[in-house]
Amino acid sequence: MKRGTMWTWTGVAAVFGFLLTVQWSQHPSSHASDDNFVNVRTQLTEQAQEHRILAAEISKQAALLAEYHAASGSKASMRQALREDAETVAEEAGTAPFRGPGITATIEDDPYLPFVPQFAGQFYKESDQWIQLIVNYLFSNGAAAISINGQRLVTTSSIRLVVGLDGLGGLQINTHPIAMPYVITAIGNIGDMKAALTVFQIKNYLAAMGENFVVKTYSGKDGLTVPAYTGPLPGTWAKEVTNP
Amino acid sequence: MIWLPVLGLVVGAAIGLVSKWTIPVEYSSYLSIAILAALDTVFGGIRASLEKSFDDTVFLTGFFTNILVAALLAYIGVQLGVDLYLAAVVAFGVRLFQNIAVIRRIVVEQAQARRKARQTSN
Repeated sequence: MKRGTMWTWTGVAAVFGFLLTVQWSQHPSSHASDDNFVNVRTQLTEQAQEHRILAAEISKQAALLAEYHAASGSKASMRQALREDAETVAEEAGTAPFRGPGITATIEDDPYLPFVPQFAGQFYKESDQWIQLIVNYLFSNGAAAISINGQRLVTTSSIRLVVGLDGLGGLQINTHPIAMPYVITAIGNIGDMKAALTVFQIKNYLAAMGENFVVKTYSGKDGLTVPAYTGPLPGTWAKEVTNP
Repeated sequence: MIWLPVLGLVVGAAIGLVSKWTIPVEYSSYLSIAILAALDTVFGGIRASLEKSFDDTVFLTGFFTNILVAALLAYIGVQLGVDLYLAAVVAFGVRLFQNIAVIRRIVVEQAQARRKARQTSN
């Protein structure tokens, strides 16, 4: 082989080797695909969420423990601590009103919004799904208590779109019919809740369907009040079995 | 002297490893098709060498032109929303296998000729 040809082959081989290495270092293996990246990101989000819930639980239990320690001397103090604990549990379970800083999110028709033929009027067919979505975003981002048009949400609450064959009907929360405007009141971390609603672009989606979405914040200890749940809870009608 | 291209390959791979040069993920498919084009040209060059019709200029221009045109074709395909990428993969793939088949045949024929020459000399 001629000397020049050899150098040509050498140069081409070097370029080829470089290209191969760059490509391999870009994709170390066929398993390192976008799917893996998405899986890892999803798992990371889940773990971060779980960590936040557990951290909040730990700090709550630590405060409770400190309270019990402080009240361990007298019966009256212990009774007081237990009563406060029962009140906190009732507030969180939804059987007592809950007060604190929070936000209200109002959904109402707005004829002045740009008409998008593809999505216009869609909200009336999917209002339950959209409100469930918003509630889930709020609960997973710092909301401690939520009510919709005065109906407190508890673990057994329902958000349903009930429409008869005649096309009449509407949204029901805890089987109570509610009408527009829908006001979602959420008490909790204002920043996180607002951020979640912004990140998931709820306002834009609802605007495309012709619905206005207004979020207002109420800071301060007595910012908002969510009423207590008044319906039956699991176990309400249950009785202890005395003769098994 | 045959070790020189092998050394070139090793040096090129080493530069790629040491430099830690990366390309954005969205351009990764263009590099894949460019590598396929390069591989096709390399096998074409080996075939031409064995057929004693190798030309430095043709080989070099073919190598770089094929790489650029293949990547460009893939890019245009993405812009048009047509999988021109697949057309390039099929075209280069078919040529690659044809070249490999011809190289194999030439190498086998040369080996048989050598054996026959040895037998007649004995």
